[in-house]
Amino acid sequence: MQKILKVAQREYVETVKTKTFLISLLFLPIIIGGVIVVSSWISRDEGGPRNPLDVGVTCPAPQLYEKVQAAFREHNEAHAASPLVLAEVKSADDPQAIEEQGKRRLREGTLDAYVVLDDDVLAGSGGVRIYTHKPKPAQMEAIWTIESLLRKAVVDTRCEARGLDRELLARIRNVSIQQVELGSEAGQEQVQGQGQRVARMMVPFAFMYLIFIGIAGTGQHLLSSIIEEKNSRIIEVLLSAISPIQLMAGKIVGLAGIGLTVTTLWGAGAYVAARSRGIDIAITPDLVVFFLVYYILGFTLFSAILAGVGSVCNTVKETQSLMMPVMLLFIIPLISWFKLAQDPNGTLAHALSFLPPATPMVMMLRLSTGAGIAMTETIGTIVLLAVSVLAAVWAAAKIFRTGVLMYGKRPGLREVMRCLKAR
Amino acid sequence: MYAIELESVCKSFAAVRAVDELSVRVPTGCVYGFLGPNGAGKTTTLRMIMDIIRPDAGVIRLLGDGDSARARNRVGYMPEERGLYRKMTAANVLAYFGALKGLSKDQSRRCAGRWLERVALAEHAGKKVEELSRGMHQKLQFAVTVVNDPQLVILDEPFSGLDPVNQDLLRDIIEQMRAEGKTVLFSTHVMHEAEQLCDFIILINRGKVVVDGTLDAIRAGHESHTISIELEGDSSFVQTLPAVRQVKQQAHRLDVRLADGADPQDLLKALVARARVRAFEIKQPSLHEIFVRLVGADHAEDP
Repeated sequence: MQKILKVAQREYVETVKTKTFLISLLFLPIIIGGVIVVSSWISRDEGGPRNPLDVGVTCPAPQLYEKVQAAFREHNEAHAASPLVLAEVKSADDPQAIEEQGKRRLREGTLDAYVVLDDDVLAGSGGVRIYTHKPKPAQMEAIWTIESLLRKAVVDTRCEARGLDRELLARIRNVSIQQVELGSEAGQEQVQGQGQRVARMMVPFAFMYLIFIGIAGTGQHLLSSIIEEKNSRIIEVLLSAISPIQLMAGKIVGLAGIGLTVTTLWGAGAYVAARSRGIDIAITPDLVVFFLVYYILGFTLFSAILAGVGSVCNTVKETQSLMMPVMLLFIIPLISWFKLAQDPNGTLAHALSFLPPATPMVMMLRLSTGAGIAMTETIGTIVLLAVSVLAAVWAAAKIFRTGVLMYGKRPGLREVMRCLKAR
Repeated sequence: MYAIELESVCKSFAAVRAVDELSVRVPTGCVYGFLGPNGAGKTTTLRMIMDIIRPDAGVIRLLGDGDSARARNRVGYMPEERGLYRKMTAANVLAYFGALKGLSKDQSRRCAGRWLERVALAEHAGKKVEELSRGMHQKLQFAVTVVNDPQLVILDEPFSGLDPVNQDLLRDIIEQMRAEGKTVLFSTHVMHEAEQLCDFIILINRGKVVVDGTLDAIRAGHESHTISIELEGDSSFVQTLPAVRQVKQQAHRLDVRLADGADPQDLLKALVARARVRAFEIKQPSLHEIFVRLVGADHAEDP
């Protein structure tokens, strides 16, 4: 036992000292922080100048056309750098022919967009069509602007035609609703904005992602540590002092510690960041306990598999093909997290909860949604996970013992099976 | 009391029988040479002794203890393939392996310091292993092997790849351990190393014992048929003597191989009768000769 802890301690200290560890620790927070800063900076940006956009309009109602002109004029005054140049398209009498003419000019390139307002759009049954021909990506935002300008013009005209007060209508439609989060004591009430609601939605994902990073990310350190000892031929010196099981156990314990350090730092960082922005995330003690249980079981399972695989390989590259199937099981919850968070008691959620390598991620996701997962199911998944951990550790220990002294052979499933059968 | 006892130990890899019914007893307090050609099963046997691989059959006892895990704390092992953690400092590597051998924190730090001193690496204690030269690597590797002051040291091809200075250093360490009553077992296929150092020798080939015993006993059992003589004057008549099978001129001397069953004393008498004899020496067979004689033919077709 003491030797296991000694191995664990060295593994922990030496891993923490490496540059890759420091980089991987800082990488994610820096990326996320960067994305937040950059995106808020972008959303504040007014947008630079754009070439004038030629917009053709066919409008049967002169009253409406005036409103359209007014709306465009107003826009051009406010955004002088990116004007929308309006031109009426009408020469033939036949509406069909007029529309064809507009489309032709669009194809010729003399127009960038062509708008057709139907005869009865004011009555409410007709529609508005905006034609484009091979629009450039840079013009997409302008098209949206055109859309909102047209909508405003049509609504204004409709109101006027019916003698309705536009202002009154807006007041009638406006209902102020606030979500207010109560603090534990009086006077701690907080109005919840859109961002805070989104952040709340992200909590289950954050939990799942922490499990994922803690398990899969740290697993990489385990692989490289085994391969290093194999390649530098330290392994035989080690095995003369300790048994393969002790070596493997020590590595797993040490790297589990690394994973816990990383996830704790990130989790605490995310929690503090959320609190400082006024998002009060409810993390109950039992959630933390479940996190620990699932993390430790999940990490042991994954790293036992890694240790078995890593021991028969000579380079990190060789491990990748053997690791593919296991990694796939991790990817499934990652790509289906939204569905799982929305429907934590659905069939998919139940099924994935009983697929051992994915269990910790899926269960943490489900538990943190607060949807009321049946205790029997939770315990069931933990038992299944624990059983598969025992099986994996047993198999890995056998493979590790033989595999770790195998050099030069190209590892395949057959080698793994042979190691498993060896005495 | 034996330091190592092997009883009918067998080990096969797939179809190849690497070690076949091997029984070895290594007495305490001696230097024991484990000889054999490449592929004879030396490394496999040493790995089984260290419980790195398990025998298919047979019993192995280390330092009189059936539980090899416990006994291993008192054993030092240097494998043929050597390596150390490149990113750790020399002192930390030593302290770590000391701790793995069951030393307490204090003890392992003290032993690490002492052995760094002994192999003249004390001033490099704080350097990372990757910053050390190749020769220093080798010295650090011995220190790692013996950091726990083991009662038994097992060395697999210890001299291969060592520079001459480190060969001498290792030889000194082995001699010193013998003087302290410790047991040293090492494998080699270079015979003169074994001749210089060993009290006992075992020669194995294809996983089986070919010969074992003290160096003297083995030599006695393989009496040489070669006699080196030096005569005054013409010596061409030697070829014609009935006891002589072959004569080879070696500078001033003649190397004479006797016919089977011939007594060297008869040759001497015949020589004295015909000429003045300046030198007459019954040659000691070298281990190399014995080795080649015992496994030579077999070895040639070894895979």
